[in-house]
Amino acid sequence: MIINALNGLVYGSLLFILASGLVLVYGLRRVVNFAHGAFYMLGAYIGYSVAIHAGFIPGIIAAAAVLIAVGVALDLVVFRKLADRDPLVTVLVTFGVLLVLEDFVRTVWGTGNYAIDPPALLSGVVQIAGAPFPIYRLFIVFASALMAGGMVIWLRYSRSGLWVRAASHSPVVAAMCGVRTNVLGPLVVGLGAAFAGIAGIVAAPFLSLNPSMGAEILVMSFVVSVVGGLGSFGGAFISAMILGQIQAFGVVYLPEIAALLPFLLMALVLVVRPQGILGNKV
Amino acid sequence: MANQTLAHSFRESPILRPSGLIVLAILTATVVILTATGSRITLSLLAQATIISIMALSVGFLARTADLISFGHAAPFGLGAYGTALVFQHGIPAEVGIWLVLVAVFALFFVIGLVVGKLNGIAFSMLTLALGQFFFVAVSKLRAITAGADGMTVSLPRSLFGLPSRTFQTPDGMFIIAAVILAALVILIYLFEASRTGRLAIGVRENEERVLFLGYRTKILKAAVFATSATIAGVSGVLFALYQGFVSPEIMHWSFSGNALIMAILGGSLAVWGPVAGALVFFFLREWLSDLTEHWLAVLGVILITVTVAWPGGMTGLAKAMRTRISGRERNGGGK
Repeated sequence: MIINALNGLVYGSLLFILASGLVLVYGLRRVVNFAHGAFYMLGAYIGYSVAIHAGFIPGIIAAAAVLIAVGVALDLVVFRKLADRDPLVTVLVTFGVLLVLEDFVRTVWGTGNYAIDPPALLSGVVQIAGAPFPIYRLFIVFASALMAGGMVIWLRYSRSGLWVRAASHSPVVAAMCGVRTNVLGPLVVGLGAAFAGIAGIVAAPFLSLNPSMGAEILVMSFVVSVVGGLGSFGGAFISAMILGQIQAFGVVYLPEIAALLPFLLMALVLVVRPQGILGNKV
Repeated sequence: MANQTLAHSFRESPILRPSGLIVLAILTATVVILTATGSRITLSLLAQATIISIMALSVGFLARTADLISFGHAAPFGLGAYGTALVFQHGIPAEVGIWLVLVAVFALFFVIGLVVGKLNGIAFSMLTLALGQFFFVAVSKLRAITAGADGMTVSLPRSLFGLPSRTFQTPDGMFIIAAVILAALVILIYLFEASRTGRLAIGVRENEERVLFLGYRTKILKAAVFATSATIAGVSGVLFALYQGFVSPEIMHWSFSGNALIMAILGGSLAVWGPVAGALVFFFLREWLSDLTEHWLAVLGVILITVTVAWPGGMTGLAKAMRTRISGRERNGGGK
């Protein structure tokens, strides 16, 4: 029981980190990045390649560094240039980026499955309520909490965080008050991409690496952000935690339909609250 | 008054103009000539391309009529295909069963449309992606009904709709059948757009609130447009199942939805036929490129980015620009 709940917490916190990358970008740019799942996958593969040669921590740093660069480039080349166009144009372009990145991953790493061991320090198990639980999974929760906490502190207490919140609230009014969206763009999109990349390598020892991992996690993070309400961190947190638990308990108690449960939850929420749990009325 | 505008709009509909009839005649001649002279491989490719262009037509119809971009149309396509397989497996007479499948797809997506129709552009796109994935997972997991990843064989009876069922599984037979159905659907969409309901749908696309204030039930109209688009995709799925004789969950994967979307965008939505042209170009481009390079996926991504950014009208935009240049004036083509 407790083990199930903990597994749900692990998966939920991964989903939250991914969804918060989407939320962050959506707030500033009012677009959804369909390549977010591909960023996650790219982070996992790059982190894997560095980690098997140089160790796990360099792997995380490499994944973060490459993804920051990719995110900054995405903002400068795509989001900024297309800011005046219909948001759907940008969405379609990010879908194109997704296809290119999938091809890239298939070309460089092939289509096989990869598995990576957690670093020695974090391998092994602890006894929780009389049952063994891998330490590494607790580390995933800890790392996610650290990233989420860092982001919240940045958004609440720094000048640039204030600007980002203002621009998310109302891009036009914020711009009139002198907030420069185009300066914040690379920062925010780079950070969102880095979150996806770090989530990818951090999740790698927990889930395995294959070219379809990006699409799977993209769909789940979409479910999280739509259920939570597009653009809402709080909503994303609540729905990620609920989905994590549904996943963990579903696999044990309703194995046949476990994979369908998140979508049923999504349908239910949308019928009752089309704008999502904490979303503003669209 | 209303009747007058209706008659007027029917006359305006390009399909009923002499030029429309000429285009139709030329296309018929092309189909006949291709069937008579094309090699078996070309015809097989043409049959597949025509079936898939019906799928692209459905995605384009939704984009054109409602300005909604679907990333999940593989779902109704797959449901049409699986529905057909199940009809034959359970020995239901196809002449009834296939209609039932299409009615079921319409009803299901009408209900879904009532829910997702409340969402704006981006959220709608995200949801259709998730929805598509839902049906993909459902078909993969419900092994008792769909045989899961193994797929299902579609075993046709001796004759179907009064034709020997071999006709449906030979390239030339299926090419003609699919081309006729495609032409009928394109004509129906033209007529729909010229009709009162069609104009109302365009009105909802442009300003839903205003149409709502005029006293129309926009929610139901939106859901009906969504369901119609899904049903067209379902028709494509039915034809696919009949022709291939085999269905597996892969046809419901998100990448297929994405491909259909790319075909529709490549063709553009300035004319109804755009997605069809896009699908044909897509198909033969893929055939040609897969000989040259393995990086089909990346090429696809680059094409998508280039067309959406630099060439938003797609092929229909090009056609329109050429026509304007030739005739020296902008012709009002209705719709966008």
